[in-house]
Amino acid sequence: MDYQFLWRPVIQSLPQMLGGASVTLQVSVLSMAIGMVLALILCFAKMSSFAGLRFVANIWIEIARNTPALFQLYFFKFGLGAVGILIDSYITVVMALAFNTAGYMAETFRGGYAAIPNTQLRSARSLGMTAFQAQVHVMFPQLLRAVYHPMTNQFIWVILMSSLGMLVGLRELSGETQFLYSKTFRAFEYFAATAIIYYLIAKLVLGLMTLIGNKVFGLNRGGVA
Amino acid sequence: MNNLFKGAASAVLALSASVLITGQAAADKLDDVLADGELRCAVVLDFPPMGFRDSNNEPVGMDVDMCADLAAAMGVDHQVVGVTWAERIPALISGKVDVAIASSSDTLERAQTVGFTVPYMVFQFQALLKEDADITAWEDLESARVGAAVGTTYESEFLAYKDTHWPDAEGRYVSFQSENESFLAVSQGQVDAVIVTDTAAANVVNSDKYGELKLGPVAPFGADYVGMMTLRQEYGWINYLNLFINRQIRSGRFDELYAKWIGGEPPALDIPGVYY
Repeated sequence: MDYQFLWRPVIQSLPQMLGGASVTLQVSVLSMAIGMVLALILCFAKMSSFAGLRFVANIWIEIARNTPALFQLYFFKFGLGAVGILIDSYITVVMALAFNTAGYMAETFRGGYAAIPNTQLRSARSLGMTAFQAQVHVMFPQLLRAVYHPMTNQFIWVILMSSLGMLVGLRELSGETQFLYSKTFRAFEYFAATAIIYYLIAKLVLGLMTLIGNKVFGLNRGGVA
Repeated sequence: MNNLFKGAASAVLALSASVLITGQAAADKLDDVLADGELRCAVVLDFPPMGFRDSNNEPVGMDVDMCADLAAAMGVDHQVVGVTWAERIPALISGKVDVAIASSSDTLERAQTVGFTVPYMVFQFQALLKEDADITAWEDLESARVGAAVGTTYESEFLAYKDTHWPDAEGRYVSFQSENESFLAVSQGQVDAVIVTDTAAANVVNSDKYGELKLGPVAPFGADYVGMMTLRQEYGWINYLNLFINRQIRSGRFDELYAKWIGGEPPALDIPGVYY
């Protein structure tokens, strides 16, 4: 390959790329937060004794887990667009990623619940707690601890998948890179720099999550997850 | 004597070997294409009428015909490699193609990375609107939602124009991954207008593939000249390509292709008062 690498354009546009990276982080954190709340609701809906709730939760989870994330994103942008529902790119990406995360995490939550001995719930109730108190004070903390690692994985996944945002016009890190590249044609330099930024973001999030996990759950100090 | 002869013979062998090797290393792209007997062109195939696929899924369009003409002039076969806008440069630099005939605007910034020929085609930029849009003048776009395909010259030109002329515009800009998505977006009303080349706009309006669309105002950015691209250091090859473009025009073939794919009066590729 006969090619001279030139890094100056990349260094000059680093502030713009970091601006894109901040959009990536915002979108990921938002989707993750909304997705987790939805996942918890879906999880309870799926375990509920009402057939209607179970039905809705099942459909959501099946679609979210068994279709490509790209398809889900296009559905929210151009699928809804075809029937006149127009949503801003930023919100579209958050919606699609939250939808997807909710489906995946609902099943993880359900698995986490199954891992908690049901004597826990019965003991809590026999101590005089209401059903709600037993869930909040006894079951939920144990659930969070059980799903902590899969949740971290999902978070990283969301960060990386947010790059699909450029397909619907969101200027996150990938979209920004594409824009800068097309102006200068320095493909290798820009995409290499972007890969490094993604790697650093993923590592940073992983490090933070490990730190929080240690402090809150004692996960990596011989604690049993 | 015997030894002397052996020494001389091996020296001659070594010399001829090194000539062969260095001879090969000095071969440029032009030599490579002639030796391979095949010319590989990168063409963007979602950009009708310059490059697209016909009903048999075969690549066709003005850029495809240019590639075939070039191969015929060199007496070699041709292969069209379909690329997206973003894949043009990686395809060139990795050696997957010999030349990109991909309607690429010859900006000074890009020419710092790749080698451009003289222009082989020229476009105007134009807004593409939904049938019922009430945008009549270019200035109406100030307060409109405007889109374009990411990485195109019309995107950067529009953004630069917006920054200088309409710094406080209430209108928003959205970029899309490809031409097709930008057409879809304007037909759905996700944006009020998309900026494209005049040729692509006319093509989409005539095709009816995206519902009721109409041609909007022409952008005041001036003409968009596009050149063929290859590696920056391939002087011999660029020279050949320049002569090829020159002869396409001299022979009347350019007018023929223009009539075939676009129609109307062919534009002048030269700039008055400028000597290439």
